[in-house]
Amino acid sequence: MLEDLGVTQIAERVQRGELSAEKVAEQTLGRISALDGGLHAFLHVAGAEAIEQAREIDRKRSRGERLGAMAGVPVAIKDAICTRAQPTTAGSKILAEYLPPYDATVIERLRAADAVIVGKTNMDEFAMGSSTENSAFGPARNPWDAARTPGGSSGGSAAAVAARMTACALGSDTGGSIRQPASLTGTVGVKPTYGRVSRFGLIAFASSLDQIGPFATDVRGAARVLSVISGHDPRDSTSLAAPGGDLEAACGRTVRGLRIGMPAEYFAEGLDAEVSESVRAAVRELESEGCTVHPVQLPHTSFALATYYVLATAEASSNLARFDGVRYGLRVDPGGAPGRSGASDLRAMYGATRDAGFGAEVKRRILLGTFVLSAGYYDAYYLKAQKVRTLIRQDFQRAFAEVDVICSPTSPTTAFRLGEKVDDPLSMYLNDVYTLPANLAGIPAMSLPCAPSRAGMPVGLHVMARPFEEATMLAIAATWEARSPARALRPPVAAAAPQA
Amino acid sequence: MARPKIDRDVVLHVAKLASLSLSDGEVDRFAAELERIVAHVEQLDALDTRDVPATAHVQLESAPWREDVVRPGLSREAALSQAPRVESGGFAVPPFVE
Repeated sequence: MLEDLGVTQIAERVQRGELSAEKVAEQTLGRISALDGGLHAFLHVAGAEAIEQAREIDRKRSRGERLGAMAGVPVAIKDAICTRAQPTTAGSKILAEYLPPYDATVIERLRAADAVIVGKTNMDEFAMGSSTENSAFGPARNPWDAARTPGGSSGGSAAAVAARMTACALGSDTGGSIRQPASLTGTVGVKPTYGRVSRFGLIAFASSLDQIGPFATDVRGAARVLSVISGHDPRDSTSLAAPGGDLEAACGRTVRGLRIGMPAEYFAEGLDAEVSESVRAAVRELESEGCTVHPVQLPHTSFALATYYVLATAEASSNLARFDGVRYGLRVDPGGAPGRSGASDLRAMYGATRDAGFGAEVKRRILLGTFVLSAGYYDAYYLKAQKVRTLIRQDFQRAFAEVDVICSPTSPTTAFRLGEKVDDPLSMYLNDVYTLPANLAGIPAMSLPCAPSRAGMPVGLHVMARPFEEATMLAIAATWEARSPARALRPPVAAAAPQA
Repeated sequence: MARPKIDRDVVLHVAKLASLSLSDGEVDRFAAELERIVAHVEQLDALDTRDVPATAHVQLESAPWREDVVRPGLSREAALSQAPRVESGGFAVPPFVE
């Protein structure tokens, strides 16, 4: 059955002609229409376009042309990534009607590799959130328990992959927005090294932290997608010609002799006991595969959350200034006679547009970011946080002088109930304590499933590595995956789906 | 430094800087929430950072330069296609000169 195939298996079958891309697309769309009513993973399904793309791939093959690495593989795309002439809302009312006039670089690369874009996934508005409850279009749900969140902000992409509606998806990760939902839904999610993947066409949240990355049903699938979307792009001045070798081959590499660091700061107060034990069991298994395990110190970990909320909101307040009702998106003209009061008309239009277009969390972060950048507070908050960011980077540099990877939990708990934390911003932010240091340091990190909780909810193992050493990280992940008790598990909603 | 009290006036000032028109209820709510969040951020004061350089960005120093050549951009039609209001081939805005 299609839902049992990973990215590499679908691509190989389509390349060999054992499966037609059109059949794959049809089955995928059937599965989405059967399952998504209960999950709300998608904000837009590109049915006709997907079928047309798939037919073109089949025609290419019948002409004898070689198909790319993503041959016929359906991909779900987080709605913060621009897709030409297809809705791209970033989960916001302010972009509800937006149809980008261009494709993001990652979309161009997926299309060039013969992938099929099947739709756009639900997310917290402008990627600000950890549950998708900040989506202007209603939350996504967790396929393991529909009363619970799939995490966020890339919760729709995570739910789509967990329910096996697609074998892979793209998300974006500013403080954990790929890894936390991957953890909560039992999927594989990778945040690449800052600069490995072009951000051109990603609707910006915090430019010095944002990075696009893959979700997949398995580690090798994530490695394949990451390879396809990686590489220098002249349209993103922060993208780099990344070294790092063959990421897929790394998935078969031995981990014997690799040194795993375990930071005490990541196993402290606030960590659920079952999550802790599940992660420790995974590390013990890696030890029996020939890794050595060492305690490491990341002493500034407890300052990461405060640092992140100053820097990310400051960057967001600047990035979101572009939504002003002039060039794209919503425009609200306030009441009153136009043209009478000069400059105040323009300012009133900005204010009315942004008040109507942005949700509460986005406003809260714009206000905080504007505050920490404002005269009199810049040094005390923004500059201070930039300096603490240096201390956090140095923690990792010192730790990675001693070890090759660092393992920890991805999220302190399993998926929480929708509504549980929505009225308490600070408690919601605490979801990301283990993931956001990697964004501040710019290092690669990923989450993959380890043994579920007794209630059957997924638990994520978090693996971090040195800049551009995704290969080492993936080798560790693939080794654990082959032994993980989570490997054969399927969420109830995926198992119960009718055959398309 | 002494912590500033985040009250209605601070929120209204910051909202003006950020071009946000907030309702009265929003101003009260955000004042209370920002007060809590800023209190959490104050913990950074416990760290001595006098001799620590700031990190604005992790690896701009190693980013390659691109060729400085003219390349095609969006057509005027494409660039204007998403504008809420277009007049005489440009973005239309309310009058802003007295």
